[in-house]
Amino acid sequence: MSLQRPVIWVHEEALGSSNPALLERPNSPALFVFDTRWIQEARISRKRLGFLYESALDLPITLRKGDVVKEVIAFAERHNADGVLSSLPVDPRLERIAVSIESHCPLELLEPEPFVTMPRPPRLGRFSRYWREAEPVVWEGF
Amino acid sequence: MPPQPIPTSLSWSERPGDLPRDLADRRALDRLLAEQFPEAGGRLSSLRGGRDAAETTLSRIDPRRYTKSRNHLKGAVTGLSPYIRHGVLSLAEVRDAVFQRIRSRDEGSKLINELGWRDFWQRMWRDLGDGIHDSQEELKTGHDPASYAGELPEDIRAGRTGLACMDGFQSELTSRGWLHNHARMWMAAYVVHWRKVHWKAGADWFLEHLLDGDPSSNHLSWQWVASSFSHKPYFFNKGNLERFSDGQFCRRCSSSERCPFEGSYEQLEGQLFASQGSIRDVPTRRSRNHQQRSGRQQELKGSGQAAMARPKR
Repeated sequence: MSLQRPVIWVHEEALGSSNPALLERPNSPALFVFDTRWIQEARISRKRLGFLYESALDLPITLRKGDVVKEVIAFAERHNADGVLSSLPVDPRLERIAVSIESHCPLELLEPEPFVTMPRPPRLGRFSRYWREAEPVVWEGF
Repeated sequence: MPPQPIPTSLSWSERPGDLPRDLADRRALDRLLAEQFPEAGGRLSSLRGGRDAAETTLSRIDPRRYTKSRNHLKGAVTGLSPYIRHGVLSLAEVRDAVFQRIRSRDEGSKLINELGWRDFWQRMWRDLGDGIHDSQEELKTGHDPASYAGELPEDIRAGRTGLACMDGFQSELTSRGWLHNHARMWMAAYVVHWRKVHWKAGADWFLEHLLDGDPSSNHLSWQWVASSFSHKPYFFNKGNLERFSDGQFCRRCSSSERCPFEGSYEQLEGQLFASQGSIRDVPTRRSRNHQQRSGRQQELKGSGQAAMARPKR
């Protein structure tokens, strides 16, 4: 990893101790931001926010709300960071946020531990096609 | 009201605008969320977030009982989906926990298969990006896609359909934020096929409430029910719902004399779909949305979580 003094952006897909960014830099300041635009536009209910809040409280992270990009950049400045470290998101909304953060400062994304590592990308389209290829590999670990 | 666990302390100082980490109990959290996010409706779920709750839930999984009973509402399903969805538990961690609890592959194959579904949905999301919001294929219902309502009817949203099962599912969805997979599918089929509502309206409503609200598994599963991500529409009859819910709804349903789900599959297929021929004959046609993915994601290999299994009729 090239970043020397990163802050960690924890997002909604990685609110656990297996977050690869937290594992990589357990002592770096870390932040979770409640994305107020998403919450309003998708009409996210309070129980979903409560679940996220309780999960975030288990991690050594600062909690804020607002525009995620602005909050992450401000947090990096607050800690004199040389960049932002996070886990690779799947959600395109989080991906867009990552791209915006990267336009302001260096960003590194770490891939979480995979469920199954395939020798080549599996065929998708229907579950049965994917599972025909993935299942034998998954069971190799048993 | 149990106290909140003591939060992990921070090694850096707080600043104005940081949300509080020290909350006395869940009532305080509920008040805080009401104040900070007044637009977010409802109350807290009885299901708690966090690592302790996740580990407790993980410690209770029973792969053997899951294999036999998972399609029943009272079956030994794991309830892990919210924790997996938000990375509180990794799918790899759950896989290993299953491996530790079984003596043979047969004992765990169904549950591992379900974890495979979650991985599959994540891979599909990487592949389709925002395309999961679009119908993937033509409907096989014989109906014009434009004939489906764009808005969820108010009686469904408010739990006032008069059908004990659907109103019961609405109550679980909106209060607890979690539904058994079979209930999700029954409800989706009711909304799309019986009420002729576009799958997207129902899928978006589910995401407002589900603690495991994963757009990929949710939207593609709604499409699986609707038939824009499968070879035929999913529907059910009263016998199926009664069997897998142990009759808990039908016994007290005020609409039992005019149950819309009463009938054989052949009868219901005739009622619900424009022509049975169309269910089988429409060719599969994919509309992918690769162009919406950024270069970054297309170059990366997938990893995963999250989903919904397919109960048999």
